[in-house]
Amino acid sequence: MVSLDLLLRGFGTVLSGYNIVALVLGSFMGIIIGAIPGLTATMGIALLVPFTFGMTPITGIVMLLGIYTGAIYGGGIASILIKTPGTPAAAATVFDGYPMAQKGLAGKAIGIATVSSGIGGTFTAICLTFFAPILAKFALRFSAPEYFALAVFGLSVTVTLTGRSPLKGFISGAFGLLIAMVGLDPMGGFPRFTFGRVELTGGFSFVPMLIGLFALSEAFRQVEIILTAPKVKAVIKDILPKLRELKQCSAIFIRSCIIGLIVGITPAIGAETSCFISYSEAKRTSKHPERYGTGIIEGVAAPQCAENASTGGDLLPMLTLGLPGDAATAVLMGAFTIHNLQPGPILFRDHADLVHQVFAGMIVANSVFVILGLAFARFFARVISINRRYLVPMIFICCMVGSYAINNALYDLATCVFFGFIGYMMMRYSYPVSPMVLAQILGAMMESNFRRSLAMSRGDPTIFFTRPIALIILILAVFATITAIRRQRKMLRMQVAMATEGPDEKK
Amino acid sequence: MLTSFLPSFGNQGGWNQMANMSMKKGDILAALVIIFISIFVFYESGRWPIPALLGNPLLIPRGVAVCLLFAAGILLFRALMGKSLMLESRLEGATLRRVLAVAILTGGYVLVLERVGFISTTFLYLLLFGLVLGVRRWFLLIPFAIVVPVIVYLIFDTTLNVPLPPGWFR
Repeated sequence: MVSLDLLLRGFGTVLSGYNIVALVLGSFMGIIIGAIPGLTATMGIALLVPFTFGMTPITGIVMLLGIYTGAIYGGGIASILIKTPGTPAAAATVFDGYPMAQKGLAGKAIGIATVSSGIGGTFTAICLTFFAPILAKFALRFSAPEYFALAVFGLSVTVTLTGRSPLKGFISGAFGLLIAMVGLDPMGGFPRFTFGRVELTGGFSFVPMLIGLFALSEAFRQVEIILTAPKVKAVIKDILPKLRELKQCSAIFIRSCIIGLIVGITPAIGAETSCFISYSEAKRTSKHPERYGTGIIEGVAAPQCAENASTGGDLLPMLTLGLPGDAATAVLMGAFTIHNLQPGPILFRDHADLVHQVFAGMIVANSVFVILGLAFARFFARVISINRRYLVPMIFICCMVGSYAINNALYDLATCVFFGFIGYMMMRYSYPVSPMVLAQILGAMMESNFRRSLAMSRGDPTIFFTRPIALIILILAVFATITAIRRQRKMLRMQVAMATEGPDEKK
Repeated sequence: MLTSFLPSFGNQGGWNQMANMSMKKGDILAALVIIFISIFVFYESGRWPIPALLGNPLLIPRGVAVCLLFAAGILLFRALMGKSLMLESRLEGATLRRVLAVAILTGGYVLVLERVGFISTTFLYLLLFGLVLGVRRWFLLIPFAIVVPVIVYLIFDTTLNVPLPPGWFR
């Protein structure tokens, strides 16, 4: 159970000194990154991880939580003002946000989006606070076979991250598994796929690889598509939503919070899925579904609330089981390991104080972006028009300096650039990057626990089927794969229909 | 300007062909690379010791290699049958030259960073990068190329205690 004493002390730590400064700074940066189309929350976290090196673990982590929650929210600003989602998670906000801006209600749309995101995010952060310790306590019973089953479960649902081609998603995941094997054998200690290079005995440097795959590759793509920055024409006024408007959306808030949380907890899907489900549910249950897509506040509140409500759900399996649910949490997990913290049940046992500080940080982060979003809405709107010809080189520099700074090693810088180019080519040829990274994390977990299990059973593979928890997880993995493939197909159809026909497509 | 030099080598080199491949050619090349890597995994793993009672280390790598071989076969078959996906956009003309120039600049940056130092290398990198992206306002570009490396250096070196290569400023 959550310790209220530790939680209160966690709030004290987060709200004191450098921590709150780092959180506000992270949130501010996150909103800026989210508001600029082409820059994602994952990229933002990867890009700014190196800036946390010199910080204490909790200062660094709350800063990254600020970036994460701020970027997820910030995507909605661009959706409203220029009809282009700042992040994939804000795609559904376009449907009613942009029509509101066209009616001269851009300020109101931003205000509703901000408060809705705050409500969703705070709800999910509180759920995380109360559910995570229970799940972590249960996970303490897990041994090698259960962890192997859990890794298989995580790998099986990465098939939903496949983008346009499931085959290419599978190939990307399989390569992630091979990359995970580079380095010393986890049991025998002999080198594998190192080509005699000492630098590779520990495997590829994880954070430079993440920065390359998620940030540098995207920056390469920005070089390709560099355009004149869009001009924001909308006048932003009346930002603060009225109580009457919030009451009008109360049912939507409840529904979207639950949808966001459930979608977030489900591995391999996150905010970009929950916003569409929430929007279509809001429309389906509305007395006036025909008004959706014409610029109504409910159409902005539903996706924004759900996308931030999925953040805590995404963090739950990562924090408690060491199982990242999506690309952003995979990068966050990398940030934890940089600070010598290994997410999982042991973290809850050995660093209970820090875990409660993370919970407090998550709750505070969701209030901070609301305050910043309402106070600096006009500034964030102006950020969208930033000249990409100056921004893109700065992103390149941040990626490369960040990678170099980890160990002051040219090898890390080369790793970042190498994976940046690989990631760019993968994007061009429709290979999704996320399965590769998730498979790399889960592959290491799967292999070592698979072999530990066999060592425990003296080579008898039935150990995976005779232990009830492992068996249940493996059965769940099969069901999750089938459900995930079906749901992914449905989501792709829904997104294509909404993108081509707008939100008024036939139900 | 830097971009104006590029056509002389940009239209025939392997880089150009790689970046501008159609999806079909890309799929065929990827399938061949995957087949090669899978065979290499089999060959390399055959040289590993098999420690007693520590689980067979060959099982997972070879299992993954078999899956990859199977996937490569499907990818190759689909490509040859003309069922590859469409490329979202082709890299051509000025766009291709821009991407190539940035790739070369970035590679060069990696090579000279430690020798020349962070501030000098980054100044030059940002200046050339700006030119490649079409910035022509010198009065903005030069201060930008000076201020960014200095600020980044101060943040990492002074505030975060993460030293960056001093190079000529040692």
